[in-house]
Amino acid sequence: MSNPAPDMGLRRELPERVTRLAWILLILGVVLYGAGYLLDAKRAAFNNVVGFLFLASVAGGAIFLIALEYLAGAVWSVPMRRATEFLAALTLVVPLLAVPLLFHLHDLFHWTHGEAVAAEKVLAGKAPYLDIDFFIIRFAAVFLVWNFFYFLFVRNSTKQDSTRDPKLTTNNVRLAAVFMPVFAITVTLTVVDWAMSLEPNWYSTILGVYYFSGTVLAALSAATYAIIKFHENGYLPNLRRDHFYSLGALLFAFINFWAYIAFSQFLLIWYANLPEETFWFIKRWKEGWEYVSILLIIVHFVVPYFALLTQDSKMDTKRLKLMSIWILFAHLLDLYWLVMPTYGEGIPFGWMEIGFPILLVGLALVVLSYKVKRNNMIPVGDPKLERGLSFHL
Amino acid sequence: MNEQHLFAITALFDTPEEIVHAAQEASKAGYTRFDVNTPYPVHGMDKAMRLKPSRIGVFALVFGLLGVFSAVGFMTWVTLVNYPLVIGGKPFWSWPAFVPIAFEVTVILASVLTVVTMIVLYFRFPNNAHPLHDTPYMKRVSSDKFGINIQADDPKFDEKEIRAFLGRIGGKEISPIYFDAEEFEHGQKLFDPKFLGVLAVTALVVSAMTYVVFNKVLYMEPFSWMSAQEKLKAQQPSELFKDGIGMRPPVEGTVARGFLPYAFKGKPDEAGRFLANPLLSTKEVLERGKSRYMTFCSPCHGNFGRGDSRLQGQFPNPPTLHSDKVRNWPDGNIYHVMTDGQNIMPSYATQISKDDRWAIVQYIRVLQRAQNAKESDLK
Amino acid sequence: MSTAVIDYTREVPVVEGRPKASELDATIAAPLDQFPSRAWWIAFSVTLLLLTIGAVCVGLTIYKGLGLWGVNQPVSWGFDIVNFVFWIGIGHAGTLISAILFLLRQRWRTGIARFAEAMTIFAVMCAGIFPLLHTGRPWLPMYLTPYPNQHSLWVNFTSPLVWDVFAVTTYFTVSLVFWYLGLIPDLASLRDRTTSKIKKLIYSVFSLGWRHSNRHWQHYERAYLILAGFATPLVLSVHTIVSFDFAVSVIPGWHTTIFPPYFVAGAVFSGFAMVQNVLIFVRQAFNLKHIITLDHLEKMNKVMIVTGSMVGYAYAMEFFIAWYSGNQFEQFVFLNRALGPYAWAYWTMVTCNVVFPQLFWFKKIRRSIPVMFAIGILVNVGMWFERFVIVVTSLSRDFLPSSWGHYVPTMYDVGILLGSFGLFFTLILIFVRVLPVVSISEVKAAVEGAQPTHD
Repeated sequence: MSNPAPDMGLRRELPERVTRLAWILLILGVVLYGAGYLLDAKRAAFNNVVGFLFLASVAGGAIFLIALEYLAGAVWSVPMRRATEFLAALTLVVPLLAVPLLFHLHDLFHWTHGEAVAAEKVLAGKAPYLDIDFFIIRFAAVFLVWNFFYFLFVRNSTKQDSTRDPKLTTNNVRLAAVFMPVFAITVTLTVVDWAMSLEPNWYSTILGVYYFSGTVLAALSAATYAIIKFHENGYLPNLRRDHFYSLGALLFAFINFWAYIAFSQFLLIWYANLPEETFWFIKRWKEGWEYVSILLIIVHFVVPYFALLTQDSKMDTKRLKLMSIWILFAHLLDLYWLVMPTYGEGIPFGWMEIGFPILLVGLALVVLSYKVKRNNMIPVGDPKLERGLSFHL
Repeated sequence: MNEQHLFAITALFDTPEEIVHAAQEASKAGYTRFDVNTPYPVHGMDKAMRLKPSRIGVFALVFGLLGVFSAVGFMTWVTLVNYPLVIGGKPFWSWPAFVPIAFEVTVILASVLTVVTMIVLYFRFPNNAHPLHDTPYMKRVSSDKFGINIQADDPKFDEKEIRAFLGRIGGKEISPIYFDAEEFEHGQKLFDPKFLGVLAVTALVVSAMTYVVFNKVLYMEPFSWMSAQEKLKAQQPSELFKDGIGMRPPVEGTVARGFLPYAFKGKPDEAGRFLANPLLSTKEVLERGKSRYMTFCSPCHGNFGRGDSRLQGQFPNPPTLHSDKVRNWPDGNIYHVMTDGQNIMPSYATQISKDDRWAIVQYIRVLQRAQNAKESDLK
Repeated sequence: MSTAVIDYTREVPVVEGRPKASELDATIAAPLDQFPSRAWWIAFSVTLLLLTIGAVCVGLTIYKGLGLWGVNQPVSWGFDIVNFVFWIGIGHAGTLISAILFLLRQRWRTGIARFAEAMTIFAVMCAGIFPLLHTGRPWLPMYLTPYPNQHSLWVNFTSPLVWDVFAVTTYFTVSLVFWYLGLIPDLASLRDRTTSKIKKLIYSVFSLGWRHSNRHWQHYERAYLILAGFATPLVLSVHTIVSFDFAVSVIPGWHTTIFPPYFVAGAVFSGFAMVQNVLIFVRQAFNLKHIITLDHLEKMNKVMIVTGSMVGYAYAMEFFIAWYSGNQFEQFVFLNRALGPYAWAYWTMVTCNVVFPQLFWFKKIRRSIPVMFAIGILVNVGMWFERFVIVVTSLSRDFLPSSWGHYVPTMYDVGILLGSFGLFFTLILIFVRVLPVVSISEVKAAVEGAQPTHD
């Protein structure tokens, strides 16, 4: 039984420059965000939806990854779990991002326009669900539920650092089993409410799975990047190529899964050719959006597929860092492609579209630096830690 | 007495640690023509034997790409060049619909061909003539022991040295393996008579079966394209009927299509009263009527209905169609004359269809009006 | 809840008891050397009987035509397609266990992978009968493939039915190759063990001369990984393409985008139920309880609850979106399924697929063999009915009420279904006596102490 290295697990802080960068980005992001709302509220609101869905997927996906580790009994990821827990802390912050949206529902959602809805029978039929009060209740419920599970998972994990009680792992495993179906429902609600209802006449039963695949990718990429950076700077010293291979393999697998879901959705709607469904894709193949669609396929599938195909590439930290950032951008592009065509005024790209990602990065880094300062980098009390550290392919 | 050709010296070990160590030592000692035999792959053995990484993945990539391009290429050629068809209103080249097949072909080619390449090219299998087969060494190594064999063609081969070396690293049951004398001398022939015999028999059987299936079975029920059907076809005999003939004469009173009997036979007045011209005096009808009139009526009645045809004088003249009588006849009467005949004019029913007869009636009306035009007609 | 605390610091051994490699040889090869027991003969006669019934029905169908079946207009697909989807679904568990669990480094698959793969191959063989028969002229199967012919015709590459031809062929071939690849080292071990001259010849031929050389193991392992890497998307693609048979249409209840992952999850769900149930017998009959352990069965139950939940999610999503869409035809389909003439089938499906598997949340149930066996059977029944509900209800009542019809299977339909079970289990019974049901080399490698300890 090898003893942990002397400085492993002690609380560290992110370097001064990183924390400073985090605050600069956050403040800059908030300024741009605010300016956006002042200057063109509708465009800012749509960008806000994209940013909100993006950060929700990183946060919710991080909780999912934690739950998955417990449920599957995975060992290789235990030394790295804290990084994912830190990312999951974003769950508290994400709903704040949506607050301005609640004041701009009218700009975003056609179904909030009462007269138009009353005039169209199909829309009026959906009114019990597409109702502002119920919408807000659902939004609150999703984030209450996510925060509830986040706090429980992380409380058990942190408590275990001092008590080393294996029962806490068992509790988290049971919690994870309950979390999974709840997550399936909440992630579906999030995308149905915030993305699908933008086009209230359109529907697709697979959209929940589609957003889920992007969610896992986003969380995985963010975690991979953070973990490798932590490792390179001495915060997670005991990781090997074997550990990174698993991250790379999961990234590769979910890239394929996303492509499979995205293509299935497209193929079925294209094939049946029903106007009430195809208009959604046609909108993304006109007036310049066709280039965005093609770009999405290349950026979100073709490039990462070949970049992570070989066994070696999955273990190469340089490649993994690059592809994590790449996939995060691809996911942002995916959400942009999902949401923006409803904005209806061309393909917006300007300081506002860059401002939101700056805000998101700033937020993530600020939360990370806060959590790193107050927590052990490694779950020192986890009974699987030894096995995780000595893990070999 | 045949000289025994030495293949290799072998040794057995009991634990995976020992065999990994043995392989490491053998590599360190500079042996290259040696191999390790284990009942299952042992971790770390590749490194211990200093093996170069397997490049078999390259074959998978190549075959996979071959699959993608050949599938997409072929489907493109079929749908764009060879036999373009509009299916479901979609464009000829509907690439989304090609994805599933392209994917499947990629997988099958990459998987199957990679395995075949590995077996044939890398392993050079099937090979049941290898000297290690049927030896006590093989039996142990197949079951629960780990073995190492250092081949006689290794540049550093020296039997005594190797036996000592193997003893040093803990090898047990150190023994030599010899080539099977007969197989060594004759080598492995590709065209072994037994193999050729099997090929010949296979060819014979396959040909026979192909012939029987395609020339005999396909013509039997139910494979014969429903060519022999139980229903009674025209001209076939039948035992059901006394005269043995399948075809039965039509029942009395049967009327062939288009041959309903003329209701006003011999009754011109009733024809005139009850029949009405279903056709209007449109340009097409009149042109049809004119052409039919010229063909059938003008030889006797003349080009303008005056009864002054070329045949005049050779038989009793047909009357002029411009008499008051004819001009005052209802259309039905004129139709009746064409259908039933009158005096020596026979029935033209079999030569002129009903519609054409009515068209002719319209044309006759035109002729009549032309011959007796009034001042008001000019307006 | 259990009072025993799990020891997370130790890896649970995949094989219980540290059997020696030679013991494993003896245990696994035993059925191949022994004359079958009475239980085996009784089982074999039952399966042969079912197979015969099926064969007679198939023969009559070929001779007299599809009029013997219950299909009609509008329900032109009945038992034929339901059974096809059912059997292909059963096959998916095998590939998942051997390929996907391999990629996920779940070493508990070693004891069950060989058997599961064999089941895949047999299931695909059973499945393939149905599309062939339902063409009406099954003696012209080449018409389904693109070969140059004197009609100058090609197949319709854009039709999911043609995609099925490619998918099922690929699936069968790759599964067979993957299974065979795994068999090669075992056939070599059997060759070196056997005393019978005939068996030695057969094993020598089929083992291709494998001599356990590490120079070969190196490439072998890489090829195995590559095949697993291809088999994983393949298994997803096959049932996806099967789902496309329905989803590319415009019929309410069929045209919905979630079909691909829903069908795949359902396939794994039913497949695992079947694998688990057969393994319960196999481990008992052939003294393999230390290799196919209760832990492994429990893990399979967990997979079932995961995939069963995915199926439940799909039911809920379809139902919600049917309401949300405001499409009266879509809404009617779901009302019709629950309340219409086939409501009995629908509620059977829901009870068996959603209600009973929830029992697997409880550890006591997961470790009770009789209960998990019962649930396994219910899941298979439920999944068969799911395909029945999807195929028949949507066809019997679609857009125009004047086109509505009813479907009643004939005894030939039922006979062929029974025959497919007969074929499946006959093949399994033969397999069990002819080839090792557990992968000898993989299990030897997974026993504690089989691999050198790392420094």
